[in-house]
Amino acid sequence: MIRLKDIALQQGSFELEDIQLELAAGEYGVLMGQSGCGKTTVLEAICGLREVAGGTIELGGRDVTVLPPAERGVGYVPQDRALFPTQIVREQLAFALVLRDQPQNVIARRVEELAELLGITSLLDRAPENLSGGEAQRVALGRALAHEPAVLCLDEPLSALDEELHEEMCGLLEHVHRETGVTILHITHSPSEAERLAGCHFRMADGKVARNE
Amino acid sequence: MSDRGQPPFKVASDKPFLIGLGVLGGSYLLIIAAMVLADLVFLDYGDRPILGNEVIQQGRYAADDLPVRVKQGRVYHFRPGKNEKGLDHNGKTLRGDQSFTAATDEISLLPAKTDVPVTASLRVETTVSTVAVTNGVATLTMDEPHGLLWGEFIRVRGAGGGWDGVHEITDTSLTQLSFVVPEGAEAADSLQLSKPNPLVQALRNRDIQFSIMLSLISCTLTTLLSLWVAVPIGYVMSRFEFRGKPFIDTLLDIPIVLPPLVVGLSLLILFRYVPDWLSDVVVYKWPAVVLAQFMVACAFAVRTMRVTFDQIPQRYEQVALTLGCNRRQAFWRVIMPQAKGGLIAAGTLAWARALGEFGPILVFAGATRQKTEVLPTSAFLELQAGRTEGMLAVSLIMIAAAAVVFIVARTFGMKRIFA
Repeated sequence: MIRLKDIALQQGSFELEDIQLELAAGEYGVLMGQSGCGKTTVLEAICGLREVAGGTIELGGRDVTVLPPAERGVGYVPQDRALFPTQIVREQLAFALVLRDQPQNVIARRVEELAELLGITSLLDRAPENLSGGEAQRVALGRALAHEPAVLCLDEPLSALDEELHEEMCGLLEHVHRETGVTILHITHSPSEAERLAGCHFRMADGKVARNE
Repeated sequence: MSDRGQPPFKVASDKPFLIGLGVLGGSYLLIIAAMVLADLVFLDYGDRPILGNEVIQQGRYAADDLPVRVKQGRVYHFRPGKNEKGLDHNGKTLRGDQSFTAATDEISLLPAKTDVPVTASLRVETTVSTVAVTNGVATLTMDEPHGLLWGEFIRVRGAGGGWDGVHEITDTSLTQLSFVVPEGAEAADSLQLSKPNPLVQALRNRDIQFSIMLSLISCTLTTLLSLWVAVPIGYVMSRFEFRGKPFIDTLLDIPIVLPPLVVGLSLLILFRYVPDWLSDVVVYKWPAVVLAQFMVACAFAVRTMRVTFDQIPQRYEQVALTLGCNRRQAFWRVIMPQAKGGLIAAGTLAWARALGEFGPILVFAGATRQKTEVLPTSAFLELQAGRTEGMLAVSLIMIAAAAVVFIVARTFGMKRIFA
């Protein structure tokens, strides 16, 4: 569940006020809007990467407004994916679990599970530089899902992919959503993508977020 | 249709541009390579003979061919000056640097022009006339003045076990020289002497041995200190915005733009204001060497680290934060592994800068042999003493040290990055 109440954000001269957004647990929300309207800024605020000037953020029924990103229970997939270049795929998937001091066998099992879910079992020992765009996207998703977050934030996850892969990844996102039941907030430019995936549409314009069913 | 109207558009050739790039870049590369090669080529790596007094009276005006008296059967070394064509010996003309065995008693020097001073050199090779050993010290008597000094090295050949090899001269007079013979060496009646090449001389010299050690240790210390400081400063300057940042940025560049000598002088003056015990420990002692190197080398390391962190997008940290890292963990687990190449580059740069540091050390630490003498100081002292070859030998040691560190850093760096 994501609930933004009266969120105010400031970044230099760019200001957003009174942002309201509500997404029920397990829903798939798509946020659309023109370039530069502040979609990514809102996403970063949800992840705790940007301080809010006012308002409250609730994730999974908890008020997380002042919590550091690590304690919010979010998975974040940025637009450029930002796979850690010095780690092989297996290490990236295990990253969140190692930080949580999980025992070796639990980590290994979870990594296998994720790899199977995302269809990247054969890529586990690859370095990120040897992954194609679609493969990298799968790994970034897996990394963000590893610690079983309540909320998954995707920033234009499919924008850099070609037509065919695009369709494939849409299917994958649906699959992941069905299997894990995670609440997803997905930023995109593409109306067809929104049509295909969204259970719930949000449109951002003039510093406001509006929900249209 | 296209036959009529405007002629087809033509673009000028790329050749002049590309040639220009090649010439400008190439000439610099050529100078770099030539500069290093010149050092390597200039140094004579062979042993050289021990020569006696000058036979030609230099500085006199030669009206014509100048007769020179030599001893038949002796070996002479001839070096023409800029005013001579060569040497007329036994019907042949000797040109250029060379040794020859005199076949007659009289030879003549051929001037290139008349009424200009003679600058050529002709010296006889000395031979050992007697060898005496007293209490493990060999004293050789030469038939001519040898011109060697106490503390220099000679190489002995043809004398057998214990004798052959390089020895340090412990005492000299005009025609005698002494050195220590290893215990149990048999008496030798015939031996040849030569001067080992300057590189051997330098490496055998205890002062220079000390300065090599001090240089290696101080540069390594400086590098570690520099990285210790450069990593946090570089990270803060790359990631955080705060008031006064431009000022701090300027401050960080001061050691780079300040004349090195001034850095040393400023340190020296600064240490007038610190407690006595501290300045007693540092000034004109080895810690001053490290501090002087550190002040300059660290500025370069900071710059390198800052650029390194600038090139690592902040996204990585942000993702790491959402995955459960705090800032410290994100830094050590995600950022530093990516900064490894930059860290090695910064370390190499700091090390190389520290190795070449001279001005600040001279002012702040002095140039005391066996105390604060580092390799650039040695080179300077050699030059001051008029021993160009010694200076060159020290320079070669520095080139070798820098090259080794560079190659090790490169290969080690590559391995770490691509493994």
